[in-house]
Amino acid sequence: MPAGARARSLSAYVTSTGSFLPGPPIDNDQIEDILGLIDGRPSRLKSRILKANGIRTRHYAMDREHRTTHSNTELAVAAARHCMQASPVPMRSLRLLSCATTQGDLVIPGFGSMVQAGLGMPEVELHTTHGICSSGVMAIRAAVNSLRVGDQPNALVVVSELASRLFKHTRYEAAGGQFNMDFDAEFLRWMLSDGAGAWLLEREPRGRCLRVDWIRSYSHADSLPVCMSIGRPTDSTDGRSWQDFPTYAEAEAAGALLIRQDVRLLDHIVKLGVDGALRLIGEGLLDMQRLDHLLCHYSSHHFRSRIFDMLQMCGAGVPDEKWFTNLYTKGNTGCASILIMLDDFLKEGRAQPGETLLCVVPESGRFNMAYMHFTVVET
Amino acid sequence: MAETVVLARPEQLSEAGQAALRGLMRAWFDFERRLSRVPMIQRLEIGTFTKADYLQLLLNLRQQVVEGSRWISRCASSFDRDHADIRSVILGHAHEEHRDYEVLEHDYVTAGGDLAAIRSHLRNPGSEALHGYMMYRASEPNPVGLLGAMWIVEGLGEKMAKDWAMRISDLPGVGEAGTRFLRYHGQNDQNHLSKLYALLDRLCTSEAIAADILRTAAVVGRLYALQLEEVDVE
Repeated sequence: MPAGARARSLSAYVTSTGSFLPGPPIDNDQIEDILGLIDGRPSRLKSRILKANGIRTRHYAMDREHRTTHSNTELAVAAARHCMQASPVPMRSLRLLSCATTQGDLVIPGFGSMVQAGLGMPEVELHTTHGICSSGVMAIRAAVNSLRVGDQPNALVVVSELASRLFKHTRYEAAGGQFNMDFDAEFLRWMLSDGAGAWLLEREPRGRCLRVDWIRSYSHADSLPVCMSIGRPTDSTDGRSWQDFPTYAEAEAAGALLIRQDVRLLDHIVKLGVDGALRLIGEGLLDMQRLDHLLCHYSSHHFRSRIFDMLQMCGAGVPDEKWFTNLYTKGNTGCASILIMLDDFLKEGRAQPGETLLCVVPESGRFNMAYMHFTVVET
Repeated sequence: MAETVVLARPEQLSEAGQAALRGLMRAWFDFERRLSRVPMIQRLEIGTFTKADYLQLLLNLRQQVVEGSRWISRCASSFDRDHADIRSVILGHAHEEHRDYEVLEHDYVTAGGDLAAIRSHLRNPGSEALHGYMMYRASEPNPVGLLGAMWIVEGLGEKMAKDWAMRISDLPGVGEAGTRFLRYHGQNDQNHLSKLYALLDRLCTSEAIAADILRTAAVVGRLYALQLEEVDVE
């Protein structure tokens, strides 16, 4: 095989993107109108947590009566259709479907099966990843690898989240209400919301698109405790999983179906995110001086103060104008965030041929830090 | 005659200094992960740490804190006249810290420990290794590599104050009065950083020196973690 052909066979390009956010933007004052008041009382922590995360609007696939307006599968399908409508590639020619979500509509089968059926895609190779925020990068990674080894000519990656169903006031009341709630159980109620994103990957470039330069991730589950989870009861001395209870009703009453964030451990996420970036600089993969755009699934204001100062001094700082985020208006949609963010970024038209782009997805679940590097190319 | 020597924070670091700072940050993150794998620290992070754990921790830290000011003083005296400014800074530091162990002993007694027991406690194997290595490095001429040791040890002091002290003072029978030693090192973070930058700017003038600093940070991190692993062995 000539060198040029080999180089081409090792490439993958993001040639189209799409996203879908359900319903109208919901501002901070309307959140409890949708999610409901726990025990009929407004939250005392809400404004503090919202102030810290900076989110101003988000979307929910649920109405005020707690009727689901779009299933998770429907969110994914809508994003996938937006992505494919923007591309001349016909849906029927897609060969690989790679999907991720934190919680599908069904516990089993895999989320990808439901998305495939929703899209009516015949005979595709199917891939579903499992995890939290970084599972979207895992789905992208699987698609990129498949293209790079030459197994498939194209792949559609669809990543979707429907977190709001976890945040109904009735869920918290079933676990004992405000009396039994701690900061950790309430934190994510003011953080996460719904949405889906999709990317089309091809082996050849098409128009103005992104070449995937590399994807790397570093997981630290061996050294740190669980930081974000569903499945453990409120009583931390009770080691049972939600599946160990005699009935699901008992698991719910014990708080084992609430989504929790151990906020005391969150500092690690910034440090480990920086650690991975320094490692990539050390490996010669990443050059912060030459980086043009940074898309991070974590708001930049968490990088202020000390660690920000050190990044500047060590030559790894990224000036504010290179950061792009839609977190404050589109909300934190977990594993779908980075796909929706790239879609918004590309539609703004800022990316010029030759420029480089770094996507950073730190997952707090048990600390998995993922990085994707792209170069803008034009055919 | 004596003037306080203050090393000014540089505007920016040389390329060698920047690379060394990146390496030190990674060495620190690696050390923190290593600490998180130590069973006692795991208990602290998931909230099952007890007052008995705390007493055991202080019991095992005291000998190293006593020896700490000795190796800092030794380090100062190993710098020659071309490094007189560095020597002054380190001597000031030794003076600040040489009676820290008394604060630690006070905390131990406040939390219910016996003064005679902590004073007679032997160094654990990790403390032996750490102390031996520190004294050996501090005895070498112009031991610039010890900047890596300072980075790890001061960083841990800040971590104790920020991450550990609050959790431990919440334990029944400990309180703020029993965590003065842990809290003490959280002051003046920004000064610590400025001092680090200044020392890197002053001392990190070649790749060989940078490598020595990073190597020392890695060894000290490993030995410090060993000292904490040994707390649970007794």
